[in-house]
Amino acid sequence: MPDPDPLDALRDALGATPAPEARTPDCLDDDTVAALAAGTIDAAARVHALSHLATCPRCRHAVASVARALADPAVAREVAVAERGGRRLRYGVALSAAAGVLLLLVGPRLLDLGRPVHRAPPPTGAVPVPASPVGVVADADTLRWVAVPGADRYRVTLFDAPGAVLYETQLADTVAVLPDSLVLVPGRPYLWKVEARTGWDRWSPSELVEFSLAPLRGAPQ
Amino acid sequence: MDDWVAELRGGRPEAAWDLCLARYRRLIFSAIRHYAQDYDDVMDIFARVCEALRADDLRRLRCYVDQPDHRARFSTWLVTVVRHLTVDWFRHRDGRRRLSTVAARLPPLQRRIFEHVFLDRRSHVEAYELIRANGTSGLTFGEFLVELRATYAVVIDGRRGRVLRELAGPPPPLPPPEAADDGEPAERRELVQQLLGSLSAQDRVALELHIVEELPAEQIARVLGLPNAKAVYNRVHRALAVLRARLAQGGLQRHDV
Repeated sequence: MPDPDPLDALRDALGATPAPEARTPDCLDDDTVAALAAGTIDAAARVHALSHLATCPRCRHAVASVARALADPAVAREVAVAERGGRRLRYGVALSAAAGVLLLLVGPRLLDLGRPVHRAPPPTGAVPVPASPVGVVADADTLRWVAVPGADRYRVTLFDAPGAVLYETQLADTVAVLPDSLVLVPGRPYLWKVEARTGWDRWSPSELVEFSLAPLRGAPQ
Repeated sequence: MDDWVAELRGGRPEAAWDLCLARYRRLIFSAIRHYAQDYDDVMDIFARVCEALRADDLRRLRCYVDQPDHRARFSTWLVTVVRHLTVDWFRHRDGRRRLSTVAARLPPLQRRIFEHVFLDRRSHVEAYELIRANGTSGLTFGEFLVELRATYAVVIDGRRGRVLRELAGPPPPLPPPEAADDGEPAERRELVQQLLGSLSAQDRVALELHIVEELPAEQIARVLGLPNAKAVYNRVHRALAVLRARLAQGGLQRHDV
């Protein structure tokens, strides 16, 4: 008989009861849950919070859930953008510049999302798939993706790791050649996505994919 | 001071809301999309989040702004609030109705398990007892665990998998062959629970986050205030060694933990 996974008994004992729905007066507030998940809580508050987490599956589950969300690259990128916007405002950089950056990032496509409307989901397979570059590549002067049936236009966006837009264009082809003026640094991570227009003002985004140029031979690591 | 905060403090909630939404709209959407992938779900939850944040002249935002000290940055606080509102939306009427469609493709027993565990948030043991009490009295706990795990495998792989995991918690372990004996796992669980109570808060949280929540060690280190993932592994291994030693004193063997 094979030995059971040695951690399963513990997992069984610890996880037998799902997190209760009801808050108790001792439960952590949102500020503390967020600070624990992000690691920004001060030492004294952490000691107090951990003593509650040790006995409260509800709060522990919430902290784990928020920590996972904050580690999601898409969320992390938007947090970084939002935080950078905050510094710009505090340091008095012109509001119009911040608004311009926001517009570049958000794009006119999302300006009407404050008024949610019901729309049918895009048809199956209607999401573009980035083909290259993905991962560590020798060259990245061209972005390629798999065509979406019925799409009449694609919008490609290239970001640096903190989330700033380096390049954005719209075209009908499934290949976008990056301009010579855009210099990518070997070893540095970049992200890109492509959105396919499949209907009037309907854009189906791909996953955000990461790539980097292989470091030059002999270059310092 | 941020522009939307200035408007809020100036008693202009509508202007504050417009500025706040312009700045954090994408963050709100990305946090919702972390949990919900279906387009209609995302849009409905976004509407719910906006409604909740705007309620009572931006009461939630004012509460945050009025705090003298903040432990978290506003953006991470906002992700936390969006997470809670998203999970609540799925837990209540509209989301529950959407989730019910997930059960339609399950076999009858797994559909009942889904309803008890994912929709009604019953513990695994409670779900087992309810199913036995309602006409499946011959079902052993081991057989139930096999079906429970199969249910998790189907629903967590789907488009709503992430939020379903939020609602039901982590999947159960694979049952050992002797799990057909209902009494032994319950006794062992009780003993392990007692011993866990004797650990320090930090050790217990480290174990729970690592083993039950399956959170990556880097993220656990951030929660616990440890320098890196290695420190987390060290702490977890030390805590497990303590538990094994105490369990051995209580008559259980190493493979039980």
